Amino acid sequence: MDHRRRTPGLSSLSSRGLQNHHYTSHGAALRTRNAQSLETQLSVFQSLLHNFALTHSKDIRANPAFRAEFARMCSALNIDFLASSYHRDNKGAEAKGGESIWAQLLGGSVNDFYFNLGVLIVEECRATRSENGGLISVSDLKTRILKGRGIGGGMEVSDDDIKRAVDSLAPLGSCFSIMKIGHRSLIRSVPKELNTDQSTVLEAIQVLGYVTVSMLQINLSWERPRAHAVVEDLMADSLVWVDTQAGENEYWSPAFITAATSAT
Amino acid sequence: MTTASPLPSNFSATSTLPPGATAPSSLPFIPQYSFPPFFTLQPVASTRSSQLSSWSTHIQSYCQHNRIFSLTLVDALNTPLFHNAQIHRRLNLRDAKVILAWMASAEGGNRAEFISTSTTKSKKAASGEEDGGKCWIYWRRPEEWAAALEEWVDRTGQKGTVLTLYEIVEGDASLKEEFWNMDEDLLRKSLAVCVRRGKAQIFGGEGSEGVKFF
Repeated sequence: MDHRRRTPGLSSLSSRGLQNHHYTSHGAALRTRNAQSLETQLSVFQSLLHNFALTHSKDIRANPAFRAEFARMCSALNIDFLASSYHRDNKGAEAKGGESIWAQLLGGSVNDFYFNLGVLIVEECRATRSENGGLISVSDLKTRILKGRGIGGGMEVSDDDIKRAVDSLAPLGSCFSIMKIGHRSLIRSVPKELNTDQSTVLEAIQVLGYVTVSMLQINLSWERPRAHAVVEDLMADSLVWVDTQAGENEYWSPAFITAATSAT
Repeated sequence: MTTASPLPSNFSATSTLPPGATAPSSLPFIPQYSFPPFFTLQPVASTRSSQLSSWSTHIQSYCQHNRIFSLTLVDALNTPLFHNAQIHRRLNLRDAKVILAWMASAEGGNRAEFISTSTTKSKKAASGEEDGGKCWIYWRRPEEWAAALEEWVDRTGQKGTVLTLYEIVEGDASLKEEFWNMDEDLLRKSLAVCVRRGKAQIFGGEGSEGVKFF
């Protein structure tokens, strides 16, 4: 009885096991097929991107506008080519020999470009720190890089490039960041927060070119000691320079040296 | 441009420009030159040191461009070097002296040297105020000039021949060289470096020297 009853039970168990097994194998087959087709698609996409990057690598390197578009396309496709070069990506299969996709595709030229630019930015910020207190306008930085004293200098870059390069410095834990004063972007290379009064004064300088204590008194209705304290603070940090040849002392921001040149 | 100096020709800032030299307006001034506070010596130490080195760069490139080998500060204050007429800013004498003193220091790379008035052949004009008023601007230091001279002699195959000082600075052969029209005293200084290095020998007396390179 027991025996008989058990037999169908067992056979049903084994058949269910068999079924399960079939399902699993079929699923696995489907998955592999899926993966395979994805892989093919990916490799096709990669080779296309590769070709694109190769045929246009000159443009990518030479033309800032084009480079910005290319970078935008990549970020739209959710490819962070800056990250992909130092994260040894976990999709490892594509990265033969441990190289990142981008280093492999472009011979390292695109992500290296941003790293090089990052290095140049750090160099320029360091070089000018005593002059401008660690605050430099992006446009000023661009002209400096264009003049290129450092290694790999003398290249034309766009604001977008500089933003990306500064972002790429983030993993270093350094204090490089882009801040906005008025409608101008500035790169700050010192770990210092400006207080509201200081930012207000810098903003006024950016609009008017310079400020004087009485201008601050009139326009911001500040008390004289307050206006004085703010400019003294800024001066101590090399964030403004004093000009004593205009009657009342004028305070100018060295972050806009080149901007001042073009304005006058 | 003229840095008109009332002094004998061997001390004046160079007044004759070489044929290739262009008007000072075409000189690419450093960006700070158009920045008004640049003409006020900054009170904050770190800012000031950066300002001093910018001034040094500015003075050197200006002098190199205009082939100026020495400056008389009092006169130079009215030239575009220290006076930016466009933005109506000028450097005052005291600040200019501070800058040149910095350039003359080791920190400033010894890029200038004051000429003490007592040893000069010039009339002792107002010696108190004159003190430190004149100086060499070493956009090339005498050692660098010495090297340039040696290189030129070598390149033009004039080793072993006797050259007059006049030939070196005024001759056609050196027309394209940086030391063309160089101040004679500076040339003597530079040649003295060559002699010390054992690369040259100077013959003859004051005023008619000849020099031979080995």
